[in-house]
Amino acid sequence: MAFREVGGLRCDQVLEALDRYVDGRLTDEELSMVQAHVRGCDNCRRFGGAYARVVSALRVPANTPMDEPMPDGLLRRALSGLAGGE
Amino acid sequence: MTSPAAHVDPEARFLLAAGGGDRHAFEQLMATTGPQLWRTIRRLTGSPETAEEVFQETCLAAWRGAPGWSGQGSARSWLFGIARNQSARSWRRRKGEPTHPESLDVLGELAGWGQDPEQAAAAAEDRHTLLTALATLSPNDREVIARCDLEGLSAPEAGELLQLTANATRVRLHRARLRLMAVLRQGGTHGVS
Repeated sequence: MAFREVGGLRCDQVLEALDRYVDGRLTDEELSMVQAHVRGCDNCRRFGGAYARVVSALRVPANTPMDEPMPDGLLRRALSGLAGGE
Repeated sequence: MTSPAAHVDPEARFLLAAGGGDRHAFEQLMATTGPQLWRTIRRLTGSPETAEEVFQETCLAAWRGAPGWSGQGSARSWLFGIARNQSARSWRRRKGEPTHPESLDVLGELAGWGQDPEQAAAAAEDRHTLLTALATLSPNDREVIARCDLEGLSAPEAGELLQLTANATRVRLHRARLRLMAVLRQGGTHGVS
């Protein structure tokens, strides 16, 4: 990473703060500094935008495959496997 | 001496009895916890097939380990800890032993900083591609994203489930998101487990 210092922050510091920026957990002072850096750093502006878009996509309400119910018979199969494993 | 938990928590009573060889009690414990255990394992694993394997391995490990449960903490936390360990072992069998954790700068570069981060963002907008990429991550990365971003839990709430502090949860989440971007940037599959 080719760090630059812009607006009082280096690029690696902005990268470290990105999750707090997207989640709205920066202080007013931190937010001001990150915004100043991003205005002057094309790499961080593009990356920050992409990161925010990925997080937004994850947060779109939707059923995921991980919400599928437990398959029929799985508990029975798991318990029957104990006999051979004791 | 029976732990205080067993007086109020039926699951703790089941687990203590199972530790004494009571198979019926163990079956009741698994019947009670099974659906939520399945959902947790499903979030930790990359496919329904792997999740079924891990569920069965968790059941066996819990039965074998029940005599060693001290009665401290909740039976459910103990059981879900076993599920996490089994999920991690399953993932390591498929992916090999983990390497040293990358620095945040390296993760940023892999995610496209300074190059083409828009590729990851564009790929993420296709739900199937996004979930396929998520399935390739490690169990820890997958679960923290599932809890915080998919389910909307706060860091303290997710941390309680993950047995991490809120701050450690936030750090893990940030790194997991960057690894997800790296997978999305490389086509979204990266070898699905």
